[in-house]
Amino acid sequence: MTLLGTNVDDAARRQVEALNARYIRAIDDDQLESWPELFVEKCLYRVVTRENFARGFALPLMECASRGMLIDRVTGYRRVNVYEPQRYTHMLSGLAIERIDASRVACRQNYLVIRTMVTGEMTTFSAGLYLDKIVLDADGAMFEERIVVQESRRIDTLLVIPL
Amino acid sequence: MQNEIPLMEWPKEGATRAPYRVMNDPAIYAREQERIFRGPTWHYLCLEAEIPEPGDYRTSFIGETPIIVVRDGEGRINAMVNRCAHKGALLCIEPCGKRKEFTCVYHAWTYDLKGDLTSVAFQRGLAGAGGMPADFDLRQHGLQRVRVENFSGMVFGTFSETVEAVEPYLGPDMAAHIRRIFNRPVEVIGYYHQVLPNNWKLYMENSRDPYHATILHAFYATFKLNRLSMLGGVALGHEGWHNILYSAASRDIQKTNYEGKGLRSVIEDVGLADSSFLTRLQEFDDGLTIAIQSIFPTCNTQQIYNTLAIRQTVPLSLDKSELHWTCFGYKDDDAELRRMRHLQANLIGPAGYVSMEDGSVGGYVQRGIAGADPSQAAVMEMGGRDIKASPGVRATETALRGFWQAYRDLMGF
Repeated sequence: MTLLGTNVDDAARRQVEALNARYIRAIDDDQLESWPELFVEKCLYRVVTRENFARGFALPLMECASRGMLIDRVTGYRRVNVYEPQRYTHMLSGLAIERIDASRVACRQNYLVIRTMVTGEMTTFSAGLYLDKIVLDADGAMFEERIVVQESRRIDTLLVIPL
Repeated sequence: MQNEIPLMEWPKEGATRAPYRVMNDPAIYAREQERIFRGPTWHYLCLEAEIPEPGDYRTSFIGETPIIVVRDGEGRINAMVNRCAHKGALLCIEPCGKRKEFTCVYHAWTYDLKGDLTSVAFQRGLAGAGGMPADFDLRQHGLQRVRVENFSGMVFGTFSETVEAVEPYLGPDMAAHIRRIFNRPVEVIGYYHQVLPNNWKLYMENSRDPYHATILHAFYATFKLNRLSMLGGVALGHEGWHNILYSAASRDIQKTNYEGKGLRSVIEDVGLADSSFLTRLQEFDDGLTIAIQSIFPTCNTQQIYNTLAIRQTVPLSLDKSELHWTCFGYKDDDAELRRMRHLQANLIGPAGYVSMEDGSVGGYVQRGIAGADPSQAAVMEMGGRDIKASPGVRATETALRGFWQAYRDLMGF
């Protein structure tokens, strides 16, 4: 996938950028309940490490193969799992877009997540690549697929909030 | 070492106590590397399936010590310290690969796949000047060899020349459980690596502790994957050095034990929107749905539903460890079973619904014990004060007591 972004018009680019902005706001503003709404019902959200991705291992850190599974990750975060309070700050860069067909585009960009703990500790928690398939229509854009490829093979302590 | 000043006095209550100090005393940490990791113990290094062909290698660890495991030209598995005999530099930087020989990038000292030194750059110098002394003997400068044994596809290593072979080290029940898992050829499906903000022993306690499993890990109890009321128990091996915590989700024998008790772990109004990934495919005739085995000191085998993995805990420093997960399936998995292993990976690893908490809880202890008085200790009397198998009952800390007894014996405490 070269994704030079040469065959996508400005309107499509603005839709993709707006979707990514909503994605970041849902997570970084702790409005995670609105995160599943950014995906189509039959979606794929998968977090993998570069180590596994490069070797062709599909083993995910997280994998949601339906919007229901996205909702369950939110339930886990809010109600079930135990972890120290923490927040993310996302930074995105290098967005490249390529049209797949009349209604869909493929996108690729870098992400960086700074994690801040209640103790004040801030760390570069995760950096890597978003590989997306996004459905565009008159109402806006939705993720059909977001594959998160984290460059580091390690997770520090645990991963509870989606990347 | 009778004249040695004792590092500490163990509490008189014995294995029901673990002094907090063993988690944050640098002198104790250093002694562990000598007495436990370089002592009469076997350490999981890798799966045989990861190095199928001559020249395939994988790096690993015994305690802090970096190790290379490699299959040589005759098909034998060798292990040696990943440390050039010249200056001590790491030989293999990449975690795995294929080599005809190992050459150190620093000064090109080169070793064969058995660890023997085969050449030294400029050994004869240049134009008759310089070079190594004429009596320099390559045979005296090989890599430090590690005794290695392949047991049922799990490759173990030890620095000890005296420890018994792996099978008697494990004992019959533990060996049988490994044979149960490795009953046919396996293949790796991926890895996780998780940095734990705690001393390595806090994870060893955690993985031997069925008491916490359904209290801390609310996902287990809420969604009825694992409750103490289900049929299950604790098996011990080698006088409690090793153990298996096992349960069968299909056999909840006391349904009323969780609801109405106010346990945080049973969240009665929570449901899953899509629980299809919890479809359990029966793989083992014994009906066990969860079996966590601990092999002293730092290896776990794991079966949680259809997820199969080996966990290896590596101490990074006094208060930091790294947990390496090697997840695998069988070569003859059909597409449905392999897909279920991938989806159920949501349960395990650093982002696992039922395992992520283990990443944080050790850190809570590590931070909680800061500044403790030397006399203060963790208390482990659940299920009694002795070390014995607990068939049918998992509200017990017997396997932790087994760990601490083994630890005391090796450490001389």
